[in-house]
Amino acid sequence: MKKEMLTGNTAAAWGVRLAEIDYIPAFPITPQTEIIETLSGWISEGAMDARFVTMDSEHSMVAAAGAASATGVRVFTATSSQGLMYGFEMLYTVAGWRVPLVMINVSRGLSSPITLGPDHNDILAARDSGFLQIHCENCQEVLDSVLMAYRLAEDERVLLPVFVNLDGFYLSFTREPVEIPDMDEVRRFLPSYKPEHAFFNANRPMAQGVAVLGGAYYSYFKYQMHLASQKALDVYKEICRDFEKEFGRKYDAIEEYRLEDAEYVLIMTNSFSTMGKAAVNRARDQGIKAGLLRLRLLRPFPEEDIRNAIREKKSVGVIDQNISVGKGGILYSEVAGCLYNEKQRPFLISFIGGLGGKDISPQEFEFIFGQLIKGAGAEKVESPHLLYTQEEWEEMQKLKEIAGKE
Amino acid sequence: MLKLRFHGRGGQGAKVASRITGTAAFLEGCHVQDFPLYGAERRGAPISAFTRISRGTIMERGVIPNPDITIVMDQTLLSDPQAEPLAGLKKNGVVFINTPDSPAQVKDEYNIDAQVVTLDITNIGLDMLGSPIISTLAGAVASRIVGIGEESLKNAVEKELSKIITDQKLIAKNIEAAIYCFRTLELLKIKTIQTTQRQDSVIRMPFEPAKISTPSINTTASSLLKRTGNWRLFKPFWDHDVCTKCMICVTRCPEGCISLNEQGFPVADYEHCKGCMICAEECPKKGIKAVRESGSDSVEVMGT
Amino acid sequence: MSTEPIKSIKDLPLDENLFPGTPACAGCGGLLTLRHCLKMLGDKVVIVNAAGCFTLLSIYPFTPFKSSWLYTAMACAPAGAQGVRDALDILIEKGKLNPGDDLKVLVLTGDGAAYDMGLSSTSGAIYRNLDFYYICYDNEAYGNTGFQQSGATPFASRTKTTPIGKDFPKKDLFEIWNSHKPPYLATISPAYPVDLANKFKKAEQYKGPKLFISLTPCPPGWSTDPSHTFKLAKLAVDTGIWALKESVSGEVKHTFVPGKFKPVEEYLKEQGRFSHLFKPERKEETLGKIQEMVNEYWKQYGVLL
Repeated sequence: MKKEMLTGNTAAAWGVRLAEIDYIPAFPITPQTEIIETLSGWISEGAMDARFVTMDSEHSMVAAAGAASATGVRVFTATSSQGLMYGFEMLYTVAGWRVPLVMINVSRGLSSPITLGPDHNDILAARDSGFLQIHCENCQEVLDSVLMAYRLAEDERVLLPVFVNLDGFYLSFTREPVEIPDMDEVRRFLPSYKPEHAFFNANRPMAQGVAVLGGAYYSYFKYQMHLASQKALDVYKEICRDFEKEFGRKYDAIEEYRLEDAEYVLIMTNSFSTMGKAAVNRARDQGIKAGLLRLRLLRPFPEEDIRNAIREKKSVGVIDQNISVGKGGILYSEVAGCLYNEKQRPFLISFIGGLGGKDISPQEFEFIFGQLIKGAGAEKVESPHLLYTQEEWEEMQKLKEIAGKE
Repeated sequence: MLKLRFHGRGGQGAKVASRITGTAAFLEGCHVQDFPLYGAERRGAPISAFTRISRGTIMERGVIPNPDITIVMDQTLLSDPQAEPLAGLKKNGVVFINTPDSPAQVKDEYNIDAQVVTLDITNIGLDMLGSPIISTLAGAVASRIVGIGEESLKNAVEKELSKIITDQKLIAKNIEAAIYCFRTLELLKIKTIQTTQRQDSVIRMPFEPAKISTPSINTTASSLLKRTGNWRLFKPFWDHDVCTKCMICVTRCPEGCISLNEQGFPVADYEHCKGCMICAEECPKKGIKAVRESGSDSVEVMGT
Repeated sequence: MSTEPIKSIKDLPLDENLFPGTPACAGCGGLLTLRHCLKMLGDKVVIVNAAGCFTLLSIYPFTPFKSSWLYTAMACAPAGAQGVRDALDILIEKGKLNPGDDLKVLVLTGDGAAYDMGLSSTSGAIYRNLDFYYICYDNEAYGNTGFQQSGATPFASRTKTTPIGKDFPKKDLFEIWNSHKPPYLATISPAYPVDLANKFKKAEQYKGPKLFISLTPCPPGWSTDPSHTFKLAKLAVDTGIWALKESVSGEVKHTFVPGKFKPVEEYLKEQGRFSHLFKPERKEETLGKIQEMVNEYWKQYGVLL
């Protein structure tokens, strides 16, 4: 074990290196590119025994990755934003093959307008694809999650591909001290991959990805993916226990921060949660019983854990760094959905923030807690609130003027 | 409401037949639905199409499991387990069968307990239109059984065919043939009773591991279980007296259905031969004849 | 396999690697091509299939193949082949697969995928020198969806989306691929199975991309009788409209030049998709232009029709 200053991208690359993957089909895209650059460097210098191929697009990249996984090797690939969209067709396809591909998405807002800063519309667009999703708050978690992702994907009760998500810039290019485990520790935790259903073998031919015509047949295969994804929740918890035993770091499907006696709760994901935790601490200093629930596993969606964590709270604000245009925050709907049948449930308010990487300031967090306190017990819930300040609005006016928007 | 199910082979015109019937009923002022069911199978494979006709609003969608009337556009479909044209037919329902045989003969041969109407519309098609495409004729027959007026049928044929063919003469010939079929059939009284109600219960699907629940196939050549021999309208028939064992038919069969017997003569796998007749067309000795399929002996192996 | 060229159809391998019971149309020219190709490739193959008619060759739980098969999507069969090939190589390198059990990787696409949507992934695979086979069954339109215009649709052909005939010519996929200088590239025809077989024998010597384009009559799309499939495939070659050729590392050579070319009209008049050139009146100008395009093609190679 050693500790180094690593960016989120390099931490991701370390996870991949330690997982002793065989194959990386790749395609560059900001802010992900550093991952594949790092890996190709290590392969060139012989530090990794893997094959690296630069493909012609993300669509081809996911196809090659899935096909190699279906042939029986351990595969890694990574993308971001537009790249994820370009490969989107193949996400559903590869998930349907039931192969244990692990893929990193470095979140970045979607075009148009084209942008570079992070938000989660890219990865959440893939939420129905069959890929499992682990979302990371810090660089250590990125490395650890890659290792856990392979265990999860390759478990014979699961056999679904897994996304590990990290925020562009806020994590991808941010350095933090990261513990790099030793290879023998990792090998104990993550044994080599021995496919039992994914292979092309001269002695055991197989037709994979075949058409299934007829709704009753199709329903069977599709629903089995859902059942496997749900099963993955238990498997994931087993893996978390093993991981803690081996490496001493504890993870779960959700993370509860000062939640036990909290009355007002923020629900967040990914790197912005750190800022949310700071806001909780500030609120606590002012005597507000604040807490934060971070969703780490988004697929399968840990409904029971979420219910248990917030059922008895006064009010909960879901901060969505995404927007389902015409509906609002995606996670708000999902959290609301899992609470609906509860006899006791908190007041739930939707906030949309951090789009395109927009910062969420301490004042905005204060505003959120104000709304949560004001809203608790109110008759009516207001529509989603975009976190946007007066100053930001005025700045925007100047830009519009220059752009000739009279 | 009257519910019709058309059974044909891809390319025979079941969809157009269901549309002609639908349009004809629509022109009579009825509420109508019609639609085809597409599968992966192509020209020659059993396919079905549906028409619902009602005086009131139709509150149904999708396939018709219990038709009042089933239109069998090809007699060979009666013995086809993929097609099952008689499945779910209501009591006292009507079966139309395209065959030269009489209703009594067919009833007896296939053990049918329903009103049977027959007419050799393939022959009428060959005679009056010069082709075995019988969409118009099946539509005419169905319209007659439903009780639609002659004028509406005529207008429906014109309307539907104008969408797919431009040759006005051919449309006129089709109308003529349609009216001929329409008039040949007697008007029927249809009073059906729904008897079969499928008993089924909703289950909770159990989890199965990916090894089992992946849509992949671990067998080889399992397509052999698909008996595509029932697609044929014509069957190749070898005259081994003129055969020179030149291998041309073997080489030119897209399906790989022709092999050599112990004497080195070509023989066909009639369970799978789709009847494309490339072999007959290509035989330099003209030693392969096309024999029209009829009835339930369609997969009987001949000439071996 | 012996390197001795095959001389007649009697010498073609008798073993079948493609079995009946498929949903393909009666008289499918693509299926006939595939049957002959698989005879030559054997059964130690992974077929990577793009979206097209042949997607439906394997429908759960039925497969007509003796070998393995993988359906990817329309645009990326060559990328899927890259993944499979690389994975097999890795397994062999790491001692997890016996080299004797290695598989050939074959991309199977229609013209829609080959000429249009999959062109970039094909170009990628060729330029990366991927060791694979590629067969395009070219029926000159999107056949699986009912015959709409594709990049392969020839001048004047009617399709469902060119109801009065296409007004520009077919893409020259052979030349596009050839510009990558792949080790082996050939056009083939199901009507010339001996030529086809020998091309596969020759291709086997090369490592890298081995690419084949077959012109394959499509009875429902071309509006032809299923029994005429072979005849039309042959007429395409005998009129010079489909040139049988090969290219080794960019050097093009014709493998068959008809002794006397038949007029293209003989090929066109058999097909419903060209019937507007003959009825209600003959379109002399269009017919002349098609013949001229064929003449021009052969003229570049010093063959005068």
